[in-house]
Amino acid sequence: MWHRSASFILDKNQNDTVYPADSVTLTPPPPSSISTPQNPNPNLNRNMSMSAYYQTRAAHHGVVTSDWLAQSQEAATRAVVTGGQEIVDGGKSGRAFSVIDEFNNWRKQPDLAEAVAAIRALAAVIRNSEAKTMMELEIELKKASDSLKSWDTTSISLTAGCDLFMRYVTRTSALEYEDFNSARSRLIERAEKFGEISYKARKIIAMLSQDFIFDGCTILVHGFSRVVMEVLKMAAQNKKLFRVLCTEGRPDRSGLRLANELAKLDVPVKLLIDSAVAYTMDEVDMVFVGADGVVESGGIINMMGTYQIALVAHSMNKPVYVAAESYKFARLYPLDQKDMGPALRPIDFGVPIPSKVEVETSARDYTPPQYLTLLFTDLGVLTPSVVSDELIQLYL
Amino acid sequence: MPDTQALVNDFLNKLKKRKIEGSQATARQTAELLRSVISQQRVPYTNQAGALIDAVKAIGEQLIAANPVELAVGNIVRRVLHIIREEDLSLTTAAIGGLNLSAVSDDENDDDRDGDSTLSAAAVAAAARSTLRPPSLQTLLEDTPVSAAVPQTSSSGGDSEGKTADKSSRSRKLKHDVIEAVNELIQDIVTCHEQIAEQAVEHIHQNEVILTLGSSRTVLEFLFAAKEKKRSFRVFVAEGAPRYQGHLLAKELVARGLQTTLITDSAVFAMISRVNMVIVGAHAVMANGGVIAPVGMNLVALAAQKHAVPFVVLAGSHKLCPLYPHNPEVLLNELRSPSELLDFGEFSDCMDFGSGSGSPLLHVVNPAFDYVPPKLVSLFITDAGGHNPSYMYRLIADYYSADDLVVQRRATAGN
Repeated sequence: MWHRSASFILDKNQNDTVYPADSVTLTPPPPSSISTPQNPNPNLNRNMSMSAYYQTRAAHHGVVTSDWLAQSQEAATRAVVTGGQEIVDGGKSGRAFSVIDEFNNWRKQPDLAEAVAAIRALAAVIRNSEAKTMMELEIELKKASDSLKSWDTTSISLTAGCDLFMRYVTRTSALEYEDFNSARSRLIERAEKFGEISYKARKIIAMLSQDFIFDGCTILVHGFSRVVMEVLKMAAQNKKLFRVLCTEGRPDRSGLRLANELAKLDVPVKLLIDSAVAYTMDEVDMVFVGADGVVESGGIINMMGTYQIALVAHSMNKPVYVAAESYKFARLYPLDQKDMGPALRPIDFGVPIPSKVEVETSARDYTPPQYLTLLFTDLGVLTPSVVSDELIQLYL
Repeated sequence: MPDTQALVNDFLNKLKKRKIEGSQATARQTAELLRSVISQQRVPYTNQAGALIDAVKAIGEQLIAANPVELAVGNIVRRVLHIIREEDLSLTTAAIGGLNLSAVSDDENDDDRDGDSTLSAAAVAAAARSTLRPPSLQTLLEDTPVSAAVPQTSSSGGDSEGKTADKSSRSRKLKHDVIEAVNELIQDIVTCHEQIAEQAVEHIHQNEVILTLGSSRTVLEFLFAAKEKKRSFRVFVAEGAPRYQGHLLAKELVARGLQTTLITDSAVFAMISRVNMVIVGAHAVMANGGVIAPVGMNLVALAAQKHAVPFVVLAGSHKLCPLYPHNPEVLLNELRSPSELLDFGEFSDCMDFGSGSGSPLLHVVNPAFDYVPPKLVSLFITDAGGHNPSYMYRLIADYYSADDLVVQRRATAGN
């Protein structure tokens, strides 16, 4: 990131000159602004290039207030318009197909993983393409994959999924498939099957983690992760006796949704505010989190608050287990928290905040590998050091 | 067949009654038993590897159940299974290589068939290679049914005359190769001490003070080897209650001319600041780098960490277990007889059930093992060299296949 000056005073002066002097900065814009989608709040534009990925997650799992919904809808329509234009300009003439539209359609389904949506969108590209040779098809796919990645730079599983599929395409074409059509249909078939793979992956992860959940244990969970939900569901089905402490997960408050789901399964749940984690860490036996992305060092990128919990757990000698599918492994190596691209999402405090006050709006943080105990993936149970090995094997 | 069954039952008995002491002896006997099972096993014409694997798994299951705490048994069973898969794979690729040549050299075939056979051979070989390696990102998008078809296609692909000759020679070769490899494994187990001891000179320097706990043959050989190379050093031996095997170790060290000091386990923390390095043996090494060691080891490891003393663990490769310890203090531990702690005669009045509630007030617990978490271990010295705890997964990937982690005989075929 770019605002790395030691003097925040300088920054403040810079920012002040750019902003208009009104006080509406971070509270949700009044409904009148919805009618002017082409001229959004300049502050909204500049500071909060909203992360579509976290938006979608919030829409799926978070508690959605009406103002937030209005904001997100406005941002979504704006983004799709620009995205659609991009692809139509650069791509096939006279065709209304847009890989980004396709991707957005898939992404809206709450149970579908990001990477699966991406690969399905790329499969649609193959289906709609008029290429006659493998090379041409690869070039088209590369263009589509690049546009997807640039449309939402904050989603790691999207990037990783695209890369994985591109890798697979390159390798498959290297095997001497005589017939282009059979190769193409095979690619489409594998891409569609990937949804099943992803679903199976969650089942495998759930099975692997069963041994680590013993009777009478207390598990701390952060936010809402579908994989962790699967793990807990399977444990409940296997009649294990355990209890779950669930953080609220501000600002999404996705923990509330998780608590709901667990209550339906008759699992004893206790909700905590995010700041109560250290207070309750004593009674916790293990921490279970999901991951938005697993980076090369073996660390994870996950919802804001994960690093904090990992630090507390580490200092109190509690194991931190991560449940992540293997297609979330990404070729990133953040050296510190600010080393990743920003993924911002607005936070609703419920009361107006004066414009002079800055708000930390990042939606995610990076947890270094030394605070993680084990990663449960569909490739097996891994220690953090295995991750870089896997990535090297894939990309070299 | 009945011959091996008697052998198996005999061995099972010994395991259940804990008559075999030490992981090296257990490992060697397990390997020898499996070798005789394999040589006696009659294999069908096709899919021989599958038959061998099934036979080994059936016996392996019983062996592991007889003594679940002795992890070396499971390790050797899995090593043998991995050997069978590897040998089968190398034979298959060699056979396909042979097939390939014969197909290509036949000019009368039309191009399509040629392309087909080369494709199938390449694809089959690639799939076969991937079945041996654990699932990885590379194979994530690939079709799993292809791997199951490996044995079938390899035996039915192509129809050159040389095929039948290949098949019969292959049937003899597989068993022969597997038995050879198992012999190598037994050899490795027996000589693991020498290979580890060879590295002693790199780690023990002049005028150092070494601390150890209890008695381990690997440590003994290690220290002797350093002594042979004319290093002069001193050894502190913690006695290792309640079996006091440290006493025996101290005697042996003195017999060889090493300056030795004997201390109690409780004195470890007091003496650790005067020590340069801690060298200990292990009962088993888990996949995350954690160590199952004789009781008292965790204490030494914590003391070493507190005073920044390197904690070095010596372990032969037969001790490396591909499982992760999810509750090591309970599941991988054994409670030995309390008579090692207290004499029955002296304390028989405490053991009376006479006190009102009907159960004795005095409980005596004698756990055999301790779990040392990986973050306390500085270095593992195995017969494959010196490694970091976080590197253990690599060795495991070399020695074991992912399919064998749960040793259970599956009713359906299709490895």
